[in-house]
Parts: sequence; C-alpha cells; structure tokens
Amino acid sequence: MSTQRTRTGEGRGLPRPGDTGASRRGEAGTRGGSGETGERVRPQGSPGGPPARGRRARAVPARGWPGSPGAIAARFLVLGLIVAVALWAAAPLVSAGNWTGTAIVAVVTAAGMHVYLTPRRLPAKYLFPTTLLVLAFQVFPVVHTMSLALTNIGDGHLGTKQEAITAIETSSVRREPGSAEYRLTVAERDGELVFLLADGGRAYAGTAGGLRPLEGARLGPGGRVAAAEGYAVLTAAQASARGAEVTELAVPVEGGAIRSQGLSRAYRGRAELSYEAGCDCVRGPDPGAAAGSGAGTEAGAGQEGREKVWRADEKQGRFVAADGTALPQGWKVDVGLANLTAALTNPQVNAHFLGVFGWNVVYAVSVVALTAALGIALALALHHPRMRAVRVYRTLVVLPYAMPAFAMLLVWRDMFNTDFGLVNRMLGLEVDWLGEPLTARLSVLLVQLWLGFPYMFLIATGALQTIPSEYMEAAQVDGATAWHRFRKVTLPLLMLALAPLLVSSFAFNFNNFNGVFLVTAGGPFPADNPAVGATDLLITYTFRLAFGQQGAQYGLASAMSVYVYLIVAVLSIVSFRRTRVFQEVDR
Amino acid sequence: MNRRPGTAAGGRGSGLVLRHAAAVTATAFALFPILFVVSAALNPLGTLSSASLLPGGASLDNVRGLFGTTPFPTWYANSILIAGLTAVLSVAVSAVSAYAFSRFRFAGRRIGLVALLVIQAFPQFLAIVPLYVIFSVISDNWPAFGLNSVWGVTLLYVGGQVGVNTWLIKGFFDTIPKELDDAMLIDGCTPGQAFRRVILPLSAPVLAISALLVFIATINEFLIASVFLTGDDSRTLAVGLFSLLADRRNANFGMFAVGTLLTAIPTVAVFQFLQRYIVHGLTAGAVKG
Amino acid sequence: MRRSPHALAGALVLGLTLTACGGGGGTAGQSSGAPSAASDTTLLIWADQMRSATLKPFAEAFAEENGIKAEIVVVAQNQQQTFTTASQAGKGPDVIVGAHDWIGNLVQNGLIDPVQMTEEQLSGYVDVARKAVTYGGQVYGVPYAVESLALFRNTDLAPDAPESFEELVATGKKLKAAGKVEEIVGYPVSQQNGQSGDTYHLYPLYTSAGAHLFGTTPTGDPDPADLGVGTEESVAAFERIAELGEKGEGALKRSFTSDNAAAAFNEGKTAFMVAGPWRLADARKAGVEYDVTPVPGFKDAGPARPFVGVQSFFVASKGRNKALAQEFVTGTLASPEVARALFDAEPRMPALKQALEYAAGKDPDVAKFQAAAENGTPLPAIPQMVAIWVPFNTLIHSAVKGEPVPAAVAAAAEAIAGQLKQ
Repeated sequence: MSTQRTRTGEGRGLPRPGDTGASRRGEAGTRGGSGETGERVRPQGSPGGPPARGRRARAVPARGWPGSPGAIAARFLVLGLIVAVALWAAAPLVSAGNWTGTAIVAVVTAAGMHVYLTPRRLPAKYLFPTTLLVLAFQVFPVVHTMSLALTNIGDGHLGTKQEAITAIETSSVRREPGSAEYRLTVAERDGELVFLLADGGRAYAGTAGGLRPLEGARLGPGGRVAAAEGYAVLTAAQASARGAEVTELAVPVEGGAIRSQGLSRAYRGRAELSYEAGCDCVRGPDPGAAAGSGAGTEAGAGQEGREKVWRADEKQGRFVAADGTALPQGWKVDVGLANLTAALTNPQVNAHFLGVFGWNVVYAVSVVALTAALGIALALALHHPRMRAVRVYRTLVVLPYAMPAFAMLLVWRDMFNTDFGLVNRMLGLEVDWLGEPLTARLSVLLVQLWLGFPYMFLIATGALQTIPSEYMEAAQVDGATAWHRFRKVTLPLLMLALAPLLVSSFAFNFNNFNGVFLVTAGGPFPADNPAVGATDLLITYTFRLAFGQQGAQYGLASAMSVYVYLIVAVLSIVSFRRTRVFQEVDR
Repeated sequence: MNRRPGTAAGGRGSGLVLRHAAAVTATAFALFPILFVVSAALNPLGTLSSASLLPGGASLDNVRGLFGTTPFPTWYANSILIAGLTAVLSVAVSAVSAYAFSRFRFAGRRIGLVALLVIQAFPQFLAIVPLYVIFSVISDNWPAFGLNSVWGVTLLYVGGQVGVNTWLIKGFFDTIPKELDDAMLIDGCTPGQAFRRVILPLSAPVLAISALLVFIATINEFLIASVFLTGDDSRTLAVGLFSLLADRRNANFGMFAVGTLLTAIPTVAVFQFLQRYIVHGLTAGAVKG
Repeated sequence: MRRSPHALAGALVLGLTLTACGGGGGTAGQSSGAPSAASDTTLLIWADQMRSATLKPFAEAFAEENGIKAEIVVVAQNQQQTFTTASQAGKGPDVIVGAHDWIGNLVQNGLIDPVQMTEEQLSGYVDVARKAVTYGGQVYGVPYAVESLALFRNTDLAPDAPESFEELVATGKKLKAAGKVEEIVGYPVSQQNGQSGDTYHLYPLYTSAGAHLFGTTPTGDPDPADLGVGTEESVAAFERIAELGEKGEGALKRSFTSDNAAAAFNEGKTAFMVAGPWRLADARKAGVEYDVTPVPGFKDAGPARPFVGVQSFFVASKGRNKALAQEFVTGTLASPEVARALFDAEPRMPALKQALEYAAGKDPDVAKFQAAAENGTPLPAIPQMVAIWVPFNTLIHSAVKGEPVPAAVAAAAEAIAGQLKQ
C-alpha cells in the first residue's frame, strides 16, 4: 500500500529511467511507434538522462534530411515492407478483377509511402494506423448505415430486382400433380450438361433442347441410369461443382419442364409465375383461385382463366397487382428522405418521443451520479493511512466489473422476480419489481449501479492518490471541519479529474442498450399502449419500432438511429465543453 | 512506512470502524449476486430460480457438464487470445496517436479528437450489416482475416477500441509536463526518441489500465463475435456461454454459471497483476464498454 | 443430457443404412476416378448447438458417400438474422436447420427454395407437420421434429388428469391449502425477461375460449386480413384468463416463466406444469413421478389448441451447393432410416409417421406428446405474425395483472391493426 503511494507520487514528478517495470510495459507502444523510422536515430547517451528542468525552450522537432547510411537503409526497409504488404493485398483483388479494391489498396499504399518516406509530416506518421483502422471499422459502417437510411432496405427488400425476380420464379415452381418422378443421373456430353432420366424401365436424355429416348443405357440397382454410351456420368462431387447449372436446367416437355430435385431425382413441374420484361410485370394464375384447387389433385392446369398481373412498382420496390396486393419478394429502392421524415412525422414516434427522451436523460444522469457517488464514497472510506485490508476490499469490490456484464444482467433480471427472485425472498417482500413503472425504473438503475460503481471506485481511488496532501494540510491548519475540507478541497479536485470520465460515461449509458434490454426489455408496458414501456431508452424504443413490427426495417432503423446519434453527439459535445475538456484540447 | 500526517481526524478508532462498516456494506452489495451465481453453479438441477444464496447441494455436475459437453477450453483459449491481442495492439496503436494529439499542433487536430469521441456513440447493432459487407470482401480475398478468423475479429476490435483509448491515453500524456520531452528534443533527440524514452515509461500505468479496460470489454463482447465467429473452433466465451442459454429447450443455468465464474478468472488475474498501476492510472479518462 | 452413446448409436445405424442404399444408388457403375477436382466442395450446414451435435454423423456419412466434405457450423444466437445477413453477402450456408415459422420471412427475402417432395413422400408426415412447412401452397422445408405444449402432472400429488382447466385449478388450490404444494400450477405467463407476456404459452387457453389470432386463407395459410384480436371472443377469452389471474384465482402469475415453472415442478412445489417436451429430461432427472396429457381447455368450451412448432431443414437459395443440399435434405434426411436414427440421437417427436411409430414404441412419452399436438395449430409462419407478439404479450400481462380487460384488448387490437396496415 505505502509502496504504491510512493511510487506513484514520484512518478508524477520525475521520470525514472531505471524503472524497468514501466519500460517493459512501454514496449507495447514502441511497436506502433516504429513508424518514425527514417527519422534521425542517434546512438546517444543514456536513455533519457535526467532532463534539465527549468530550461524552457520551444519544442522544435529535429528536422532535416538525415543522410546516414543507416537511415537510408531503414527507409528502404520500410519501402520494401509497404510494397510487400501492398502486393500481397492486391494480388487476390487483381486476379478477381476487383478494380475498386485494387484502387483502394493503391491509394492506401501511396498514402503510407507519402507519410513514412518523407521526413516531414510528423503527426501523420503517428496517426496513420489509427486513421486507417477508424476509417475502416468505424467511419465506413456509420456512413454505410446512414446511406441505408435513404433506402427501403429491410425484410422483403434486401436485394436487387433481379434477385427478387429469380426468387419469385423459383418459388413458384410447382410439381405437376400426379406426375411421375424420374430417377436422375447427371451426365455431360461435349461439356453440355445432360439429365439421364429413368422412369420405370425406360430411359431418356434431357437437355435444354428437349427430351429424347436414350438407347443403350444400363440401369443401376437403384433404378438410375448407371452408364450410357456417349455420356460421361458425373459423380456427386462433380455434379455439385456444376450445381448452379444442375438447378437451373429445365428440360422442356409438354405442359411444363423436368427439373432436378437434388442429384438423384427429377420431377415435372411448372413455374407458375414468370417475369416479362416487356410489361415489366409478373404474370401467373391468381393464387386466391388457384390455391383452392392446387390443394387437390386436379390443378387448374386447363383453366388459364384467372390470370393475375403484378406490375413492378419502382417506388415501393415490389410487384403490385391491380387490387393492391403485392408479391412478398421485393427489392431495395432509393426512397430519398422518406425514412428521415417518417421518423419525424410518425405519430408513434412523435407522441412518445419526449417521454422516452426525458426518462433517457434521467437514466443516464442518475446512473452516472449514483455510480460516481458510491464509487467516490467507498474510495474515500478506504483512503486512510491506517485503514487495513484495503487490498482485499479493493479486489472484492472490483469483482462485479470482472464478471461478464451480459451474464450478470440476466442474473439480476431473475433476482427481481416477484415470487421466485432472490431480492424478494431475502427481504421477505412481495414487490412487483419489474411490473410497476417506478420500481422497474429503480431496478434498472440499481443494476447499473452495481455494474458501474467498481469502475468509478477505481478511478476515484486513483484520483485521490494524486491530490497533493499539502492542500489537505493547509486546510486542516485553517481549522476547517472534515466536511468542509471535503466540500471545498477534495471534491472540487476530484471532480476536475473525473469530469471527462463522467461525460463519456454519460454518453455510454445514454445508449446502454443491453442494460435495459436484457433486464426489462423496455417494460413494463401500459395496458393501453403496448408501444412504449416505462424503462424504454431511445435506443431500445428505436430497436423495437424498427425490428418489431414488419420484420427488420433497416432503412427506418438507420434513419431513427441517425437522430439518436445526433442527440448523443450534441449532448456529449456540449457537456465536454462545459467540463473544460476542450480547453484542455486547445492547451 | 510513509505515513501521511493526519489525513482524517487523526487516529480515532470510531472513524476507522465507520470506514470498515462502509467498506463491508459495499463489498456485500458487490458480492451477493456473485454468491448467487456460485450457488447456481454448484446446484446440480441448476436453474437460476431454484438457486438461493446458499447452495442447496455441492456438486461438480455442472463443471463436468461444461467440460464434457461443450468445447469450453477452446472458447476459453480463443477469448484470451483475442482479448489479449486486442488489448496489446489497440494500446500500442492508441498510444502512438495519443502522443501526436498530445504533443503536436496540426491542422485538423481538434476535429480529429472530437470525431474520435463522437464516432463511438453509434449503436453497434446497426453496424453489423456494413461490417458484414467488409468482412465478406475480406473473406473472399484474404481468408486469413475474414469470417471465422480470430485475426480478423481482433483487427475489428482494435479498430473499435482505438478511439476511446486514444482519448484515455492522451489525457494522461497531457499531465506529463511538456518540459520533459522538450528537454530531450533540445538534447538532440527526435520526437520518436522522446516518446519512447520519456513518455512511455512515465505512462506505464495508463497503458496498463487501458489494456485492462480493453481486455474486459473484449472478453465480454458478444454481438460482433456471435455474427463473425461461428465456426466450432473460433467461438469465444461470450458466444459459447450465451448459446447455453439461447436454446430455450435446454437452457442450462448451472453450466452457464460455472462458465461465467471461470470467465472472470483471467480478468481478476490481470487486475491483480496490474493493481499497483491501476491506482494511479485510471484518473485520465475512459469508460467501460 | 443427450450424449455420445446416442450419437454413436445414431452414427452406426446411419452408417448401415447409408451403405445399404448407397450401394444401389450412386457409385456402382460410375467412373471410379476419384473426384479430386471437386473434393473441395463443402456442404455447409448451420444449426444450433444441440442440433449440430445430432446432425454431425449424418452429414459426415453423406459427405463421405458423395466424395465431398461437410461442415456443420453452430450459430448460437439470432440464427435467422445471421442467416439473412450472411446469405445476402454470399456467405450463407447450403442447409439451415430451423423452426418452420421462419418460412414466411425467409421466402419474402428470397432466401430459401421450395423442396419438391412427391405426394407420397409428403403423405408420410403427420398432418400438422406437413401443414406447417407449407406456405402459399408450396412446401419449403423437410419437417424433422414436432413439438407442442402439454400438461405435466405430478402423479403422486394429482393422480387423475383434470378434465378442464377449472378442475386443474381446483385440485391445485386444494393441494396448496393442504400445504402439499406452494403453487397452484406452473404456467409460464412471462417470457424469460419477466417483462413480456408469453403468447406461445398462453395461446392454448386463448383458443379454448373460442378466440383466434388470424383467420385462414383458401391456401390454408393464416389470413392477416382476418384479425381475431379485438373480437368479442377475444375479450371473453381474456376475461376468463383474468379470472384465473393475480386478482382472481391466483393460478396465473406474471412471476412464472418457463424456467421457474419447471424448477417448481421438478422440486415438487407444484403439481402441474404447462411445458413442452424439452422439459422431459429435467423432470426425469429430478425423479418426479409424472404423466403428460394435453393442456386442458376451459370448462364447457372448445379444446385448448397449443401452437405446434416444427423443426425443419431448409435449402438456402443462395447456397453454393444447392443441388447437393436438395439431395441431402430431401434424399438423406427425409428417409425413414435417418429419421429413426435422428430420434435415437436426440429424442424429439419425429415428424415422419414411420419414425413416429418407432419412437412411440421406444418411449411412451412420445405418444403422449403426439396426443397433445393433435389439437394444435402450426405457429403462423406468415411475416405478419411479427406484428402480433409485442402487443399480445403486453395484453397477456395486463389481463393476468388484473387490469380492465376490454380496454387492454382494444389497445392491443389497435396496435396490431396499425402495424398490419403499414
């Protein structure tokens, strides 16, 4: 305990070159730092000899083009490395003909060379890896999501129009009722795929051109054609390698076509729906009429009378019939700002926005305040020179932070059960914790308090160590009471250190999806309005609106999350300003 | 012993008793849900609702079940590998960029800092689709970093963590007097040398802390891992454990509880190892998650 | 838990059956050259944890027979969502195992293909399973296991099966008054999160009182244009449910989830439990003397109709080996031999009649669950079902909590109708 304090106390003032533990940890950083190869590397003096304090000078980064052979060699090494990685990365892209990808690799490579092979652009040398990572894994997803907000992407509108047409036609293929099933052997002739079909004792060869009898076929024990002159029978693996052809091949016969069902059977079936480019529509029998007969054996094959036409509606991204019904398979289309305005004008969103937003703010603020209060109080309690067993307390208190959060959220949820939960059973209560708005809100706060206070405790402990004891001594000499000392000295200093953390904790909890969703799922929901629950945060509410009603509506979800995102961003920036962090930035 | 003179009211025993009382209360609050998990882990008929604070019976059935019916050791190894790698890599990358943000003045610095902060607030479940787009492209071209690859997900986690960590570490770098590295520069060192020889050793605590925070966040991460690591050999603890519960039919809280407790062990171990740094290191800024 | 002995037996049986029919069908007279060119073909199957263990030996045998590889991938969470995302990115599986009620959504997204089984093949399945995998007149999956809710009864505490739900409650109250049990019935009113009502579990009582969720179209699919919530019958049904609720008999309580209901039953704290076959293993392990009967309906009312869920195999539209997948699903997995072996590997009520007979002979509980499923209706597979869950769950909670029923039903009906209209 006391060693710690001495160590940290010294650490703040002066560098200790001999601190091996510290420099070992520091190596993690040097790898990333190797980016500054190419700068002057001077084999000079003891590492970080005691710096001359008090000497004030402008920081002038050593510039100039180092000419030593070592530096040149190092530059060539970097150049080689960059080129090697770039070639490795580009090879598959080029061979796949992916020119966009190749261009991106080229641009990144050029940027890397530009940054690392010139002696200038010092900050960029340090920022390059971070920039790349953030662009790829943070900025791109956000931008991509935002671009989705301009489309109707969601269930039923995931792919392209062509994909939708394929799906519509494929799923409309019906087996001819009562038709024979063929034993299928997939073969090829002159590279063309052929179905060798056996039905009873007879054998046929079927191609896209049609069906004709097959002479000289030998049937295997399973009734399948085992061999036929002039045809090369494919093994399952070979046939599967041409799987797309196998599934697409339809051998035209009267009143339909023979298609494969897997690799060993074929059937006669008809695609009831077909797309016609001329009218940009899908034609087929009316399912309402056909269905009744389709269930029986006598299909309406003879009666083509009830035909229905679904025309492509490029605004909605689906095929719509005159009576307003649509085929289920649609495609993705641009809808402009429709989602963004829908999120604003949707009465379901509007009516409850303020209420949800209000509770959201209360939730985030309370969580931060409660965790900070408990964490700081506990840190203060343990912060006393004669306090024993501090290490033990600290380890035990930190345990909640070490447990997997999602698991503990589920555990807490079960502990709040009215009849079987641990909370009521231990306290002998019958409180309907998660069933009443007030107690449910208290419950989610309590859970978050439990999860979060160890973190605040750790930070506060750290911050307390750094408050110079002279301040306290001075205050004591002045005759201030303990409370007064806390209010006037300790707390302000603590808050100064903790403020940025509190703000980012606020931003995190404002969007704490799991913290609410896994415990209450947003409920309890009032009987007269199932849409919005008492513990709903904007993010859980958005989630349910976007994914709970019509299946997943990514477009709408993206639009709404753009708003939530803006709110959080603005709140965070504003509070950061207030906590003077940005003054710190501009220091 | 370096005893500081009278921080609180001298040596009055009642003060200490109160302090211990407060500490014991807080510890009890911290521990009772965990005890509950322990009891569920020991209860052979383990559902959470049949468990109480004191275990009904002590049985290692659940431990046996966990190791016998699931590839738990593989999950464990994957998680530690991913979390460890992510921690080291993201701290390395963040420390370097934090140094630039802390010591250099350049165009776009302020915007960059704000952007790093704001970009973090984006809800993760929405990012899954675009991330999948990225990963399927990567899978097609560089399978070693694609779907079901520990390395690819590690890269993704590193990308997700550098923002927060840059802030945390930069805040700490700011507290190191600039005069120290200025002096180095005047002595003819490059900024790189100043960074390595002065800043890094001094900031060992915060590097340790951010590594710990990343480690915890990564080992608990569920959403991304459940989508991108589906192969038998590549699943992580969080995904594996959740799959024990996800099947409504066979929800096994006993095994889940055992797994949860075992998951905490590496974190506690890392924490114990870093405790001496932590007291000093956490003052600079970050948040779990 | 289900373990290796079963799996081993399954693998053995499978190995035998496959060699038996494999010799006849495929490899006999064909080019004996090793299919080296295509040996990197991998049939990719997605399943959850349990199913993946069950399927593994079958997939491997199929792969070996065809000279390909097979890989089973466990998708732990959000399988349907992950399947959609992955398929769309071209990284999806060839075969996926899932519940039949995914069909509507997957068809809408163009992600699964119909399976063309012959009428003869189809007639081999129990009616409810066949109905479940049929959507828009087309069959989209090969059914494999059928499950529905039933009433578990502790025969030491309650020797006779109750005729009606009222009788059940009366017996339960008597036992409770006598101090033999703590709860009247373990009826899961809430889902795991304790916050939403459990439509799946409450549906039998709702239907017994004469109410419905959706009507039926001529094709036999649920008809979203005919919404049953908000009708007089639905109000009456919830009035009866409310009478059993927290302000009435106290039999239905929001604190009951499927988990703690099972815990209470297995510990002898209640004589009755409404649960599915997945609770059998625990009940046996706990050593409770139990019997399984259909969920009783209300007195002087219709039968209780539980939802029937049918686990099925689907062929992915965007898989890379569709032909192989069709072969595996409609050829191998649909065969009676494999269906029996699947049951041996994991005891779930088979959807194939032949295998069902076999299973019923081995395990009397299978026949009891078959009886329980008899009155059941398949869980609606239409995409519009999504609109039901949240409002209906809330409605259940309001009714059981004791809030005025007509207002709650009206609110739920309005919410559902509003969503359906969009």
